[in-house]
Amino acid sequence: MDARSRHLLSRRLGVVQALLLAALGFLVLFYGWLQIFRHGEFQKLAIGQAVKERSLPAPRGVIYDRNGHPLVDNRKALHLVIQREDLPSDPAEITDLASSLGLDPDEVARKIRAFRRAPKGRPLVLMENLDEAGIALAERVRARHPFLAVQVAPRRVYLGDDLAGHAMGYVSEVDDQTMQANPGRYQLGEIVGRAGYEDSGNDKLKGVDGGKRILVDQLGREVASLDREDPKAGRSLYLTLDAGLQQVAREAFGEEKGAAVVLDLRDGGVLALYSSPSYDPNLFLDRLSQDMVDRYLRNPVQPMLDRATQGIYAPGSTWKLLMALSGLEHHVITPHTVFYCGGHKSFYGHDFRCDKTHGSLDLVGAIAKSCDIYFYEVASRLDIDQIYETAEKYGLTVPTGIDLPHERAPRVPSREWKRRVKHEKWYAGETISVGIGQGAVGMTPMALARFYALLATDGKLYEPHLFYGFQNPATGEREGGAAPAPKQVDIVDPAWWGVLHEGMAHVVESGTAATNPLVRQVAKEVPFSGKTGTSQVITFVDKAHYAQLAKSFKDNSLFAGFAPTDNPQIAFAVVVENAGFGSDAAAPIAAKLIQYWFVDRVKRPLPPPGGKVPDAFPATPPEEAD
Amino acid sequence: MLRRLRAADGRLLSLILALVFMGTLTLYSAGRGTTQSGLWIKQTGWNAAGLLAMALLANVDPTRLFKKSLLIYALGLLSLVAVLLVGHRIGGAKRWLALGGQTFQPSELMKWITLLFVAHRLGSRPMDKVEKADFAGAVAIVVFPMLLVMKQPDLGMALSFTPILLLLPVMRGLRKRTLAALLVLLPLVGGVAWKKVLRPYQKERVLTFLNPERDPQGKGYQITQSRIAIGAGGIVGKGFTSGSQTQLNYLPVKTTDFVFAVWAEERGFLGVLIALALYGALLARMLEGARAAKTLAESYYCAGATGIFAMHILVNVGMVAGALPNKGIALPFFSYGGSSTLSVFLALGVVMGALHRARIR
Repeated sequence: MDARSRHLLSRRLGVVQALLLAALGFLVLFYGWLQIFRHGEFQKLAIGQAVKERSLPAPRGVIYDRNGHPLVDNRKALHLVIQREDLPSDPAEITDLASSLGLDPDEVARKIRAFRRAPKGRPLVLMENLDEAGIALAERVRARHPFLAVQVAPRRVYLGDDLAGHAMGYVSEVDDQTMQANPGRYQLGEIVGRAGYEDSGNDKLKGVDGGKRILVDQLGREVASLDREDPKAGRSLYLTLDAGLQQVAREAFGEEKGAAVVLDLRDGGVLALYSSPSYDPNLFLDRLSQDMVDRYLRNPVQPMLDRATQGIYAPGSTWKLLMALSGLEHHVITPHTVFYCGGHKSFYGHDFRCDKTHGSLDLVGAIAKSCDIYFYEVASRLDIDQIYETAEKYGLTVPTGIDLPHERAPRVPSREWKRRVKHEKWYAGETISVGIGQGAVGMTPMALARFYALLATDGKLYEPHLFYGFQNPATGEREGGAAPAPKQVDIVDPAWWGVLHEGMAHVVESGTAATNPLVRQVAKEVPFSGKTGTSQVITFVDKAHYAQLAKSFKDNSLFAGFAPTDNPQIAFAVVVENAGFGSDAAAPIAAKLIQYWFVDRVKRPLPPPGGKVPDAFPATPPEEAD
Repeated sequence: MLRRLRAADGRLLSLILALVFMGTLTLYSAGRGTTQSGLWIKQTGWNAAGLLAMALLANVDPTRLFKKSLLIYALGLLSLVAVLLVGHRIGGAKRWLALGGQTFQPSELMKWITLLFVAHRLGSRPMDKVEKADFAGAVAIVVFPMLLVMKQPDLGMALSFTPILLLLPVMRGLRKRTLAALLVLLPLVGGVAWKKVLRPYQKERVLTFLNPERDPQGKGYQITQSRIAIGAGGIVGKGFTSGSQTQLNYLPVKTTDFVFAVWAEERGFLGVLIALALYGALLARMLEGARAAKTLAESYYCAGATGIFAMHILVNVGMVAGALPNKGIALPFFSYGGSSTLSVFLALGVVMGALHRARIR
């Protein structure tokens, strides 16, 4: 190489070297800026995407009946979920996701939108309780949508299916209205009781969700667990229900509509609460299909209505005991007052009828024979507000306070009530109908049962309840749950109790209920007392047309009472809708309940508790095994 | 045999070995727990073969290579044409030739062959006696294979040919007038390129570079994750095999284009300093070869090789940090790749030959 070239080269390569040095220097500064000055910011981003919080849902408490037979238990179920931070936003992707899972795209999109406000850790549940086919489908769809995950969560199993549907209720994700009505109380996606004791006992039953922090890789798979707080299961508890008695009620009702309530006279505990038609809470754990909505929510028969605490029925003749009390306490009759029944009588220009011609009757006879004319006479001597005052005194104007949600108050008319509700004044003629439990009077079966418990115990006003105590997790013993002592209602003359008892005993021995062979048969073994009722659904029907009527216009059949007649232990109320006479439909059901409670239960007790819950399927999911 | 290896330049060799060591560690960490866990072993094989080839080539008088450079260049062009005709297609681009179960990327070697041929042509007469026709010829020699590579298409690779053209101003010097003309022309060419030449995915890359958060889950995802890895590394790094971005797969293409982010995350700013210092020393040693070379052609070759190396290092390291557009361009000694590794060592073998003949120590 010539000297000149070498000189030129050396100079120009010097410039190149300086440029390279500058470029490297720039890179050093740039990396320094990223790694030193912005280190904290990037560190946070790195941790934010790799460390995730996951909630560990706590199982709710197990519910047992009074003898330790499980009514609802838990098992593991698999849900298809999306973690909140993984929610897709691309509408095309959401549509594809929904259609490949067979879900409604609009519904999925709406859920995803709503879930963006959800707290950290709790996932959006897309499909519940996956079966084998569901898991296979989920795995297939996951190949295209890697943000999908399968989560293990405890799931309720209601044993006995519809055995105690209305008493148990069911659980599901908290809905928007409930959240708005109780700000700050629930978290989006939280599982809460939605009806029955699951709802009213929600705070007792729910556990404390745990959580864990995990390391996830770019596909969202859990690589390691950083720390974890185990979920605390809710407390298991006993209800006062007796599964065997409940079973008898279910069988006794069959296809009939109505309700039965049995109260324990020791403490006011509810031994049986059956509303027919019942429903199987297991079917309400998942999103409802259109078929389910049609069958249950839009059904005119209203299977979801708890007829025992929410059904308002005209009490019919079961109301006559209240009329007797009111007449006695307001001194318009004495136990020995006799009225003559000629089959019909005119009050205030209207002709009122009795179903028989009873002739002369005293109070005991009037109760036993259920004479309407006698109680029209009583009612005609009372003011409606006096009747109301007696009803109020004996606890028939307020809800019973049972620990079930949305109990309805019985309806007892008064002047004030009519002014408030109908904006009209009370006509004295209306009081006559009230005398036989028609007109505006409405009772829930629960309220009726409480009233007959009061009659049975000479004035003890119970607070009916289902809660029977918590289960001590260590010993399995029942603890807590002491029922409040019943309130004693003082009657003017305690001797009157005996008169009423005599009347109710005659009803079964020789009165209106004695026409039924089953009633007679059971009463031979267990003498019991009560009062039939046949309440009109429509105002009046000529008897000739009765048989031709559509069933929904037939009278409601009622029977309320207590057993045994001497030293009563239980009180009950049974209503059968559109079934005709109280002695035909309701009294035999009551007889079956009594037969079970005092005879069969002792002879053939249920097998001891400890039946196994159907096993979880499958035990461990492909991943995210806990 | 051992005597034949003695021509290797000790300083260059120790820098190379240090970088190869760092690169292998990084590949091991990046592949850990994935399907690419054995990649570092394969790369070690390529490195060993490359080192051997480099040492052997160092013993060859570069003049003998220059004499054959026309033939080699012609063969190289042929291989590029072959790629376009019977090449192996991966992900929308034909860049590979399949040979006995292995795939090779001829364009990797072709840039060094082109450099060899250009250095030979221009070095055949003294510096101040070079004619304009010679320059035109040199430009044609570079542009022809570049066009073939762009046809594959492989814009990143085509760009790595351009440092060869920078030899020309080194030879002639740059006048202020030329500089001003360039400043006017470059934006113009850029505008035309944007409209007519660049493919949509290439435009996407430029847009993403200008604003990485534009589409964080899509095109910007790689850069965003890479910057998080680098930034989270901090001063001393997360430690070997302990970077969350790397180990949990948030970092994309972490064994090739973005391998330096692995190093930066796990070794921190200090590791970056060491790597850049080693690269700087390597480039400086290559420039020394250019200054001291016995012939002009060898000098041009060394200078051009420095340019190509610098281009790869600066563009890759800058791209990974988001300082330059996302270009698919390999980082020598770090990125996995058979063709590129062998080519790099062959190119350095020629530089070593020049250093050896210049008798500098």
